[in-house]
Amino acid sequence: MHSRRAGLIYIVPAFALLGLVLFSPVFYGFWFSLFRIQYGAPTDFIGIGNFMRLLDDPALGGTVRRSAVFAAAAVVLTVAISLALAVWIHKLGERRGFIVQMIVIVPWIISTVVATLLFRWVFVNDIGLALSLARWAGLGEIRILNDPTLAMGLLIAVSVWKRIGYAVIILLAGLKSIPDDYEEAARIDGATGWQVFRRITLPLLKTPLLLVTIVLTLSNLNTVETPLVLTGGGPGDATRILPMDVFDRAFVTYDLGSATALALVMFFGNILLVLAYVRLARWKA
Amino acid sequence: MTTGATTTRMPRNERPLVRRRQWLPGAMGVAIALAFAALAVLNLLPLIWGVLTSLKAETDLFRFPPVIFDFTPTLANYERVIASGFLGNMKMSLFYSAVTVAATLALALPAAYAFDRFDFPLRGPLFLLVVASIPLSLGAAALLIPNYLYFTRLGLTNAWFTLPLIYTAHQLPMAIWIMKGTIEGIPRELDEAAIADGASRFDVLRFVILPLSRPAMGAAGVLTFVGSWNEFVAGSVMVDSPGLRPVQPAIYNFIGFFGREWGPLTASATLAIVPILIAFALLGRLIVSGLTKGSVKG
Repeated sequence: MHSRRAGLIYIVPAFALLGLVLFSPVFYGFWFSLFRIQYGAPTDFIGIGNFMRLLDDPALGGTVRRSAVFAAAAVVLTVAISLALAVWIHKLGERRGFIVQMIVIVPWIISTVVATLLFRWVFVNDIGLALSLARWAGLGEIRILNDPTLAMGLLIAVSVWKRIGYAVIILLAGLKSIPDDYEEAARIDGATGWQVFRRITLPLLKTPLLLVTIVLTLSNLNTVETPLVLTGGGPGDATRILPMDVFDRAFVTYDLGSATALALVMFFGNILLVLAYVRLARWKA
Repeated sequence: MTTGATTTRMPRNERPLVRRRQWLPGAMGVAIALAFAALAVLNLLPLIWGVLTSLKAETDLFRFPPVIFDFTPTLANYERVIASGFLGNMKMSLFYSAVTVAATLALALPAAYAFDRFDFPLRGPLFLLVVASIPLSLGAAALLIPNYLYFTRLGLTNAWFTLPLIYTAHQLPMAIWIMKGTIEGIPRELDEAAIADGASRFDVLRFVILPLSRPAMGAAGVLTFVGSWNEFVAGSVMVDSPGLRPVQPAIYNFIGFFGREWGPLTASATLAIVPILIAFALLGRLIVSGLTKGSVKG
């Protein structure tokens, strides 16, 4: 060993970049949020004025509630469906399992803008394939985007559809790391398939399940594109969720003060999830 | 099929491995197979139907019931999209993604090497920061506003390097994590042998670690490419001049511009998917292994 500082040279470039793009903007943003903002420039110091203004906003409570409902529903459904799929793919054997994985991951690998756009065209648009077929089959007119509940259901569905592939692959990796002997031993002792799943597979899958849950929660609570492309937040405000609200405040209504304050509140929510993630990722250094 | 009673009598190594290859029995199996069939339709139909739509003339688009193959394919939609400058957006995105992949790998490999093979002050906390940054960059919506304000202040917005800078920072933590996992598995005896032969620590990185980390670099590289190509939020606010606009914001603008004209919209979507599908067809296995190793990014 030469000097204990030798290793630092190799990480300095990476950390310089992370510092510039990820870390320092947070501090700058916090400083900025303490000022009144006019035309994108800070004017006078108002302390927590921007944050107080958020509390006075009557629409924000609804947005927060909708975001919570959206994220909870999307995450629970994604995890449940992915778990069933992963268990099934795990039993398929190497080659068939791989093909199925490839099909499952398609919506994840194409961009949210394109995936949502195509989903909308095929399943939602009134001259699109699905609704044309429904009309043709005599199911009548279905106007999903005009109904607040249906529109929220659709937003959840698209979000689940988009992210299942990711969750399946992580859970599948978890399943593969469970030694086959455990299941065999339980079978020899007379356990049924369900008992094996419930008492052996599920407990051993706890870490990947929690990890997937956290990443999905983060990603659903931060998706701007899905509501933007699918519904534009409508009808009314029925599908307006927090990330889209931040985006609109900053770049549509140019209210940078409240946008920054709200972004920072979201950021601290994200930090809590990140801390849980770090505990689970079992980092070793 | 073999039952539990007969299996136990067989010697361990002769027991058939049926359990693993067996389809799930009964109703559960049928239900899951049906669910998968539904998923396959849900996943592939929008792609296929999107491509078909992009090849249709407006008159065929409004035909009812919808036609599958019975139409004369036309490239008119593609011509309109290209006339709106879409190839320029694709070229920019290709450039951004290529720079991002190169920069990410060039920064991540030395960092991963140092985190695994060196002992230096604050190594533990700094690595913790890297791991925490993996999901943090998923929260781009929350980070975006501070990032935008900060970059505006520094005069870093609206330049050719703006997006590669941001994308590299977003992908870097995941790449470091994936590569460190692989470097951990490279025996330290190889380093020691090279050093005994007079190699420097940098030579070890260059001639021992680098060649043996290729699969991890491939996995991190392809995930980085996909992530940069597909990025929307930063791409739509950090650069404004049309000549710098990447693909995803360009498609979003088309939604406003073409409105309900699904022909050009699906044509632009099809063009935007082509590089991803090529990467997927060639490197699908690496994408899966990268995701598995990284276990990150929803």
